Amino acid sequence: MKIKYISKTKHALTVLGITVVLCFSYLSCGKTVDSKQEEKEGKKPRVALIMKSLANEFFKTMEEGARQHHKEYSSKYDLIVEGIKDELDINRQVQLVETMIGQKVDAIVIAPADSKALVPVCKRALKAGIIVINIDNRLDVDVIKQNEIQIPFVGPDNRKGAKAVGLYLAERLQPGDPVAIINGVPTAYNAIQRRLGFLDAIKEKELNLVADENGDWEMSKANKVVSALMTEKPDIKGIFCANDSMALGAISALKTGNFMDKVKVVGFDNISAANELVQRGELLATADQHADQLAVYGIEYALECLKTGKVPEDKETPVDLVIKK
Amino acid sequence: MKISIINFLKEQVGLIVALLFLMFFFSIKSQYFFTYSTFITIINQVPHILLLSTGLSVVLIVGGIDLSVGSVLGLSGAVLGILLTKGCSLPLSIFMCFIVGILCGLINGFVITQWRIPAFIVTLGMLEAGRGLTYLFTNSITQYLGSKLDIIAEPNLVGIRFPLLLSVFVVLFIHFLMIYTPWGRHCFAIGAKEETAHLSGINVRKVLLSVYILSGFLASLAGLLHCARLSSSDPNAGIGYELSAIAAAVIGGNSLSGGKGSIIGTMLGVIIIATLEVGLVQISVPEPWKRVITGMVIILAVIIDTYRGRIKIFRKNG
Repeated sequence: MKIKYISKTKHALTVLGITVVLCFSYLSCGKTVDSKQEEKEGKKPRVALIMKSLANEFFKTMEEGARQHHKEYSSKYDLIVEGIKDELDINRQVQLVETMIGQKVDAIVIAPADSKALVPVCKRALKAGIIVINIDNRLDVDVIKQNEIQIPFVGPDNRKGAKAVGLYLAERLQPGDPVAIINGVPTAYNAIQRRLGFLDAIKEKELNLVADENGDWEMSKANKVVSALMTEKPDIKGIFCANDSMALGAISALKTGNFMDKVKVVGFDNISAANELVQRGELLATADQHADQLAVYGIEYALECLKTGKVPEDKETPVDLVIKK
Repeated sequence: MKISIINFLKEQVGLIVALLFLMFFFSIKSQYFFTYSTFITIINQVPHILLLSTGLSVVLIVGGIDLSVGSVLGLSGAVLGILLTKGCSLPLSIFMCFIVGILCGLINGFVITQWRIPAFIVTLGMLEAGRGLTYLFTNSITQYLGSKLDIIAEPNLVGIRFPLLLSVFVVLFIHFLMIYTPWGRHCFAIGAKEETAHLSGINVRKVLLSVYILSGFLASLAGLLHCARLSSSDPNAGIGYELSAIAAAVIGGNSLSGGKGSIIGTMLGVIIIATLEVGLVQISVPEPWKRVITGMVIILAVIIDTYRGRIKIFRKNG
């Protein structure tokens, strides 16, 4: 009996030991160099970049752009990048901001997962003397007013961008042609702005909007929605998708249903997969808001603000139409 | 009392050591970790998940499972948010929020006991239905509540907020219920072997029903605290929380097969996960690695727990 238990505990200990060693080896070789450097060099401002889902290529590109920028200017500031596991995980993002307040960073550049629910915690950050810059998804203007705070937004005009893409599609259709919009998460400012932009284009070219559906920014959801839509309304001529992931989902649904040559699709964001489809002619157009620079604009603004001590105004960054070369 | 404290330490020694180890480790790695503000950050992040895991632990102890806690949190929070924005008074809105939670628990418990359907399936159904109703009620739009719930979120004692005090109080209360009342004993008995419990005269159905109602109620309380924390009612609140709650309960030494577990253990489990989350952010581990490490810690905790159990048997037999 005794021997059996000893051997089992030994076994358990071995597993335990290996896991701990693995943890340690990773942690010690990964990030310690950075943090030690930080300690040595002392008083550089620390900027926290808090993003949405890092599994989404768009935010990944933003992150890489920011890291690249940090590499070039590493003597000027320290960068902490954090993201959440999916775009709905608002509570986790609030936790991240709180953690950053606890760490006493100098500035927070945030792409909020929800335009209202993140305002209170940003207010807490401001109260703690941290500069907060809003990028990507604009915080709700009314809620900000109610809280009597000022958070500058640095980013593209999504409505303008969506209108440009929308017009490009609309010009290739006849007035009165039935079209559909696939929206992002309906609470998100970007989703609302892009929808308005598409609507502007649809109105201007007098198209007939027959479906205004929600795809939650996600490929699989958009795929399902478009599949269902095409069985219901097979005469649809154009689909406006509020981001490229959903455009990819829409295109695969159209391919499965053999609608590819009848329906034109546009997206937004210019992720690499979508860019490829644009060049192949499967996706009509998308908009490039220079994802790799979006976070950088925010960081540069935060640094400028730290230097001057003034609260900057909102700043518009460019959006370009991407079509087949 | 002295003996019970020693017993308690003995029971939870694995978890406490693990927690101390984590704190020590992060303190070495980050100059910001071992500070008052980090401590406050960590403990103020746990109230809602603490309540969910507590309810879930009781469910696990009777040998059931409740996958719907996250959705019930979302649904009750949504009802609260809508009533408040429609201009209902705060007490009435909170009351309705609790009613929603209790109702969900009641439905879960009733279906499970009445038709003897596995809890896993019933609560999985409730998870879906609850989320659907949440989207229906809110139109999938976040309701901003402004300062309406500040009365719950704001008051604090040297930085420790009211939600935390409330949830710790609830945890202790339920811990005592489990240990010192017949109801608590019945829960353990049912979890160990339902048939035996039934034959020894325990009204199994009634106890099970009460356990699911308790879990639903705690989920709605968590919903209230979640809304207060965000100053808004978010239709996506609580997605995936059932898994975090299960993870915390399992780290805390609750067995998924029932009959064994401790509410205080669950609380330590919650704190361990929260410490890990904040600590990993502070030493800036990339997001994917955080999930790998958290996963390993969950497995590790269960290994340690089994290992501790074996030592005990070893001592008794040897």
